[in-house]
Formats: sequence, structure tokens, C-alpha cells
Amino acid sequence: MHLPLCFSSALAALGLLLAVNASAATPEDTVRQAVTAMAPKVKVDAVQESELPGFYEAVAGGQFLYVSKDGHYIVDGNAYDVREKRDLTAGSRAKARKIALDKIGPDKRIVFAPPAPMQTKHTVTVFTDVDCPFCRRFHQQIAAYNAKGIAVDYLFFPLSIHPGADKKAEAVWCSKDRPNAFTAAMAGQDPGKATCANPVSELTHLAQTLGISGTPTILADDGSQIAGQIAQSPDQLAAELDRLAQASAARN
Amino acid sequence: MKPYHQSVTPSSGIIAGARSSIAFVRVGLTLALLCALGFPIAQAADSAPDIAARKALQELVPKAKIDKVEQAPLPGYRQVIIGGQMVYVSDDGRFLLQGTLYDTQAKRDLTAARIATDAKAKVDAVPLSKRIVFAADGGKPKYKVTVFTDIDCGYCRKLHSQIAEYNKRGIEVDYLFFPRSGIGSPSYDKAVSVWCAKDRNAAFTQAKGGKNPTPLKCENPVAEEFTLGTQVGVEGTPTIFAPDGSKIGGYLPPDEMLAKLQTLGTASFAGN
Repeated sequence: MHLPLCFSSALAALGLLLAVNASAATPEDTVRQAVTAMAPKVKVDAVQESELPGFYEAVAGGQFLYVSKDGHYIVDGNAYDVREKRDLTAGSRAKARKIALDKIGPDKRIVFAPPAPMQTKHTVTVFTDVDCPFCRRFHQQIAAYNAKGIAVDYLFFPLSIHPGADKKAEAVWCSKDRPNAFTAAMAGQDPGKATCANPVSELTHLAQTLGISGTPTILADDGSQIAGQIAQSPDQLAAELDRLAQASAARN
Repeated sequence: MKPYHQSVTPSSGIIAGARSSIAFVRVGLTLALLCALGFPIAQAADSAPDIAARKALQELVPKAKIDKVEQAPLPGYRQVIIGGQMVYVSDDGRFLLQGTLYDTQAKRDLTAARIATDAKAKVDAVPLSKRIVFAADGGKPKYKVTVFTDIDCGYCRKLHSQIAEYNKRGIEVDYLFFPRSGIGSPSYDKAVSVWCAKDRNAAFTQAKGGKNPTPLKCENPVAEEFTLGTQVGVEGTPTIFAPDGSKIGGYLPPDEMLAKLQTLGTASFAGN
């Protein structure tokens, strides 16, 4: 399994140093030793306290693991709070994705916002691929999403199963009128072969570190992922975004 | 068709993905799937945490039919077996974990081990009189596998076309029927016809060769075996169970099956 990782080297060095001094084990230390015992090739990107009592939450390649604080047990899966009827793992994943997406400025996105005088009520971030049929179908309805007050920010994530899609993404990015070139490419037109400095590989890497493996992946303002079936309908997407915003307001 | 394109096959988990080289997709338990399963509830004298675990599960998945609730190896948790899969519930019923539990000191997948024990007991309980047996060459088999099969499944046919090769390697293959389309489907009728033939093994081999069996009816275990399959987590065919109750495939070519059986129980996790 390919694990796209980037922040682990400093932590790994730290782990080696601390491994000799078990009594001073940090959470990172405990988690790394536990994970290494089961799967030496899996690199842990981040460790944090979990809402699940007695466990640390570890992130590896965009996926979540629960490690008992003594390092003895790992649960590779999802945690639910039964009383609150909440998927704790989905919540943590959304939080991590929101933090990562907040660092991606408009200079790396292709933005389709509702044109004035329409107001933007919600923004969704969509990982997309020029050669993915459902991404194209989604974009065909862009005016309808905008009319519902939904701004769509696209991030390129050309899948390796679509050879040449990365070059098309770059050509779109390097064209003079980016949104128009994007719309034309999504309608099946050849975007040409323009090249320039572009964020395509950075965004592809980002998607992988966030555990995103397919397109279109649609993320709400709070980082939570919206099911493709819902997002394909502008009405349903608008309703879902309203619901998420209310739920988020209720928690704060 | 799902409105989604995927670059990688989702694994059942990051650790399982990193440890496994098996070309066999394990379908993760979803809470939605739990709804679809129906099993008799085996209620012994339940302790308070047992009751809390049942309540928690029913809260999240009202239609879930629980197979078994018992103390988990994870301190402070119960484990709940449902249709050959497992969830963990905190003793107070507040938290539920759905996934694979590893013991990092013993370097063991405790979930798979427990599910295998459960599957072994259930599969072993099927008497010889309800199996279609293709015995190993030279008397006593070195290994005995139980294969849930469907007359109309391509990889099941491929497996059976090599039955002599498995047998030659000392592997006894015991077939149980699992007509994927369910009880009453055309594949089910074929299974019943094979079962009711005078020479069951010959009829089985002929049907696997693509020849429609002569329609026959008689008392048969096909429905019972199909239900058993759903209880031990069979989700497709062929599904191969090793003697220890662990699922080892998926179709496996004869040499690979032998290699897998040889390494069972002696597998070193550290090498993966």
C-alpha cells in the first residue's frame, strides 16, 4: 500500500531518541512503537488526544487509528459516541481536513462563486479530475449550484487511473482564462498542452495525505465529506449544507 | 455504478492494508450492512455490560441481530459478534468501536482470531453427510479446507477445474453450497439438483464444467449451508476457510493455497 507521507521524519528521529527511555514515553512515542510493532512500514503523521477515553488518536496516511494509552492495543477503525450518536472518527477526519484546506489559498483553487447580486451561503471544496465522468456531470450543473448560493472551489486531483489527466489539469491551470478553460475541458474539449508553474502535484499529494482516494470528493466548510449521491443534486446539496451549518452552530 | 472514481482499492484498514498482500478485498462492516443481517439472538445470562452493549448497538442500528456478546480482550470493553464480523462496545455502553483490534505485544490480530474461532466452531459442526468431499491423494489429508461455492460462479469453476491439483498437494476440499443469488434462485436449484444426483461428486464436477444438471429435488442442506455462510461472513464465492477457521480466499491457485496453509499459525507479522 502506498502511503503518501511528508511530516514524519522529524517525529521518527525523536522516536529513536526516546525509545531508550521508556519511562519518559511521550504519546507520540507510545503510538509509534505500537504501530511499528504491528506494521513497521506504516508511518504515523500525527498523534492527538482522543474523545475516546483511554486512547490516543493517530493519523497515518489520512486514516485514523486508536491506540490505548499503554500502547498495548490498537483499534484500526471507527469510533462512535453512542449517547451523542456521533461518528467520532468522521468528526476528527473533518477537523483535520478543514485545517489542511484552510492553508490552501485561492491561488491554488479554481473558484466558481455565485455571480453578484447572488450571495454565497456556503462554499464547498471539490477534488476533481478532468477525465472523471461524475466530475464532469457535477460541473455541468455549476450554474444550478451557484443559484443555490453555493460557491464551488475546485482543487485538481487527477487520478492515476486516468493517464494524461494530470497534463490536462496543468494545461487548464496554465490557460489565460482558467474558469473557462476548466469548463471547456469538463465538456470534453482538449485543453491543449500549456505548461507553467502549477499546484497540481501539490494538491494531489494533499489529497492523498488526507485519505482522499477518489473524485469527485466534496467537502463542506467544516471539512466533512458529503456523499456523492447527495452532491449530484443541487437541491439536496444545499439542504445538506444548511443542515451541517446548523449542527455546527448548535455545537459551538 | 457508484458516482465515484477511486484510485485505490480501499482496504479494511491501514494496518491490514500494510500487512496484507492478499488479492482479496475484505468488505468492511458498515452499520448499514448490520441492518441487513438477521440472526437468532443467543441470550445467555447477560451481565450489565452485556446488556449495555446490546442496548448501544440497538441504539445505533435498530435492526441489528446480535449473534454473541462477551468480554473483549480490550480492557473495559465487550465484543459483539454479528454475522461473522465484530464490534467493540465500552462496558458503560457509551462508545462503540468498529474495526480491527490488535494486540501489539502478542503481535496478533485479535479480531480475526476471535472471528476465526467462531467460524471454525460453526463450520466444523457441519457433518460429513452435508458436505461434498473431494479427498486428498494418498489417504490422510495434510490440510482440509471448506469452500463455500456457487455452481454459477466463474472463479468457483476455475478452482474446481484444478481440483486434482489441490488433492495432489494433500489438500482435501469440502464444498458447501452458497448460491449467491439466494434461496430459490436458478443457482440454488442447480445446487439442489447436484445434491440429489445419484453420484453427487460426478454431478458436481459436470455442473462446474458448465453442463446444466438434470433437475432433481430431494431433502437437501443447501438452504442451511447458505444461511451458515451468511453467519460466518461469506460475502462472495468462492470463500475458502482454513482448518483454523480463518478465511484465506478468494480463489487461490493450488501452489498458493498450499503455501498459505503451510504458513498459517506460523506467520510472522514483523516481516510484513
